[in-house]
Amino acid sequence: MTSTMGDPAATPAATADLWAQEREPAQKPEEPSLSAGEWLGRNLFSSPVNSLLTVVFTLLVLLAGRGLLNFTFSEERVWRAVKTNMRFLFTHAYPQEQYARVWFCVGAVAVLSGLSIGLLAKTGRGISMKKLSMNLMAAGGAIAVGILLREPSATVDSEGLVVHREPGTALDDSFAGWIDANSLALLGLLLAANVALAVWFRYQGVYLRGGPEPRTAHGVLVLASAAVLIVQQYGEGEIVRESFGSAMADRAWWWLAAALLGAAGGALWFGLGDARRRNTFVPAMYVFFGAGALMVLSAWVYPWGHYAFLEGEFISEPGSTVAMTTKLPWTVMLVLLVASFEAGRALRATPAGRRLRVPLNLLWVLAPFVLYWAVLRDPDLDWDHVLSTDIPMALFFAAFGGLAVWFLAHPRIGEVGRVIAVALVGVAVLNWVAAFFGWYPMLQKARISFLLLAVVALLAHNFAGDRTHRMRLVVAWVAIMAVFHWLVTLVNSPSTVDTPTDALFGGFATTLTVATFTLLLAFPMGVLLALARTSKLPIFRVLATAYIEVFRGVPLITLLFFFVLIFNLFLPGGMSLTDIAGATIGFALFSAAYLAENIRGGLQAVRRGQYEASDAVGFSTVQRTLFIVLPQALRVSIPPLVGQVIATFKETSLLAVAGMFDFLRIADKVISAQSEFLGVKREGLLFVSFIYWIFAYNMSKHSQRIEKRLGVGER
Amino acid sequence: MSVSDATTALTEELAARDDMIVCEGVNKWFGDFQALDGIAAVIKEREVVVVLGPSGSGKSTWIRCINRLEAHQEGRIVVDGVELTNDLRNIEKIRSEVGMVFQQFNLFPHLTVLDNIMLAPIWVRKKPKDEAEELARSLLERVGIPEQAEKYPGQLSGGQQQRVAIARALAMEPRIMLFDEPTSALDPEMIKEVLDVMKELALSGMTMMVVTHEMGFAREVADRVIFMEDGQIVETGTPEHFFTNPQEERTKLFLSQIL
Repeated sequence: MTSTMGDPAATPAATADLWAQEREPAQKPEEPSLSAGEWLGRNLFSSPVNSLLTVVFTLLVLLAGRGLLNFTFSEERVWRAVKTNMRFLFTHAYPQEQYARVWFCVGAVAVLSGLSIGLLAKTGRGISMKKLSMNLMAAGGAIAVGILLREPSATVDSEGLVVHREPGTALDDSFAGWIDANSLALLGLLLAANVALAVWFRYQGVYLRGGPEPRTAHGVLVLASAAVLIVQQYGEGEIVRESFGSAMADRAWWWLAAALLGAAGGALWFGLGDARRRNTFVPAMYVFFGAGALMVLSAWVYPWGHYAFLEGEFISEPGSTVAMTTKLPWTVMLVLLVASFEAGRALRATPAGRRLRVPLNLLWVLAPFVLYWAVLRDPDLDWDHVLSTDIPMALFFAAFGGLAVWFLAHPRIGEVGRVIAVALVGVAVLNWVAAFFGWYPMLQKARISFLLLAVVALLAHNFAGDRTHRMRLVVAWVAIMAVFHWLVTLVNSPSTVDTPTDALFGGFATTLTVATFTLLLAFPMGVLLALARTSKLPIFRVLATAYIEVFRGVPLITLLFFFVLIFNLFLPGGMSLTDIAGATIGFALFSAAYLAENIRGGLQAVRRGQYEASDAVGFSTVQRTLFIVLPQALRVSIPPLVGQVIATFKETSLLAVAGMFDFLRIADKVISAQSEFLGVKREGLLFVSFIYWIFAYNMSKHSQRIEKRLGVGER
Repeated sequence: MSVSDATTALTEELAARDDMIVCEGVNKWFGDFQALDGIAAVIKEREVVVVLGPSGSGKSTWIRCINRLEAHQEGRIVVDGVELTNDLRNIEKIRSEVGMVFQQFNLFPHLTVLDNIMLAPIWVRKKPKDEAEELARSLLERVGIPEQAEKYPGQLSGGQQQRVAIARALAMEPRIMLFDEPTSALDPEMIKEVLDVMKELALSGMTMMVVTHEMGFAREVADRVIFMEDGQIVETGTPEHFFTNPQEERTKLFLSQIL
């Protein structure tokens, strides 16, 4: 200190040195991953209460898992019923010789998905090797635990009948029998030991020190309890079951799978080392593709068995691989998915890729209509009518409307535009009034076209601009007319696909169709209702509020009964709704009310300042709503919207109650009525639940990703 | 030149210019509370007017009445020759002539900086997209942040956001700019960058009406200072006159509290 004070020249330099040292950018210390033991100690056994909760809930999970496994893999389960009826479950009566159409639809969705993910998805860094290897090891471990937990198979005699034990000769003398007889007492003892240990460690202060003793001691006791749960099943009941050795040998394939998964995970984990494990990433899609490829490969290699119900005959060939009609299409689907994903990624950075984005999203909206009405139904077009009426009418509306749009989108159209728009609205309204009173005949689609034109005319001045801009509007209008008239023509043509029932198909296809069309209808309705409910115009506000409150107050099943069973009675003669159309309308009206409330929440979350800023730069109300308010409102309401989408998807199972052959009804009623599988229901129901879960879970995951991705632009 | 000479010279020069904003007997109530009480003022072309006053004095309400974010209930407001009434066409016309900058920036968070600036020229002014983009980029250059064009507002600092907000308002090529406490929500070190942009704008001849607490800005840039209290205009004058020789007792009190 004195030396620095005594040497004034040295002081600034010394200080500068000190600064230089301090300004060295501090390296964030790498936090090493916790070892398994440390992780357990910190997360599961960190205090007496946590330890006991861990013990109790581990036992509960093991018990529940054992129950599920024993239910699923029991000899009493007739999984053949599900395997045989796959086609029924997914499409019901859709004829097998037309199945190429179904596969075309699946393929189209695969290609669209692949392209969208490749082109649009923000994939982030992907899955870290640490997570991947951990998940692989966890999957292997779960399979191993499952193999042990599952009860041994019943022994069958030469005639294939289950061998029962003679009364009074339970296996009391064996070790397993002893454990079985005393299992409750043993579990109680182990639990008491856990409690005692927790208390003891607490008073020794071991938890505070964070020593390894609690996790070791509690862990041993949990393993012992699990062992009791496992061994207990080998001494149980009046049915003679195979021995431990043969049970394990029977599950050799499962052991192999567990070993492979565990080994792969372990190799990754230990082969990479801590730093590389955490800093190496694989794209999530490749993991998904890898899993898909394994499954498709197994269809070619592993003898899953060939089961089918064809032309009234039940086919059952347990030893063979799955049918060519299954494994070949799925292989093609996977190839399509991977190829389109790679194509999307390759196009991503190119100008062509950027131009593809909007059409791709439009294709998603269009796909359900085209796939259902054009591909699956294969309409039988009446070409005379098409040439004499449909095409001329479409051309007329395209030309007339195109001119109107071109004219009305002129930047200086002013009052003339408003007058013309109102005149068009007048014509459109007159057409509908005329329809009501029967003044003059007119095709329904002409009325709808006029109405669309009137709406576009009313909005046109909001989208006015220079020549290229107006040209784009005209092209959009012509495209809308082309698609609309084409779709109406398709809808009006009878189907050529020959089905034994009224419906084109049933099963999961119905579920998907109703859910998709419901959302396509309900979403715009919901947005309009929400806007109307927050509108300044009292008439809109009252109408929207009344609608929403009425449809939220009526049970969905009532609406379904009305639209599926009763609605046709109210329609004028000659008109009728198919079940699927009625159900879709009922669902859409119902969902729209809920979606509207969710979106209204989003609208209210948009700050006042946003409205003021939009007004201050001179936006009209329509422009403000479309460009500023709705994008922000919809973003905020994504989580509840996805919740509603999932709910709608699952609620389609109510179709079974309304008498339609949906996914649930086939599992519940159709399979259990087949001569081969009389009364077999549980397998089908479990399978149906599983498929519903897969879809709902994926939607929920997807919504989380969307939320994250849209969070980018947030304040 | 004495203060009174300067004032006279300014008054004569201003009288020759066009009226941009004319307010006559403007009254406004929020419920029973009278927010504006007989406001009468004329703002000339290329004039920079700073409105001062304690909070709650009606400064913001007045400036918001000028592009009809708030509606006045009595009196006349004429902006660039168009009277503000409930007629939608007048409101649309005035809003596209008057740019506004808010205390809270109010940028559109879901759009990039470039889109924030381009959106109104494209859809309100009906400009072709490439022209609008060119304009937006040149405005970003003018406010000194051309490199931030592709970012989202949430990724910018407060000062940068406010400069984008100024660029957004300028993109409509307004004849009048209104500033409603543009620096009040900013950290001290960011206030200067926004004031610099505003000074540059004032020097370029823009008609500006600025509600602010930045006395330095008022002194340096304003042609005229208007002091408000309780919804009334208490005193008007050149900055020199206002800061050195205030006439009204209330003005003196206000100045003694803040200077």
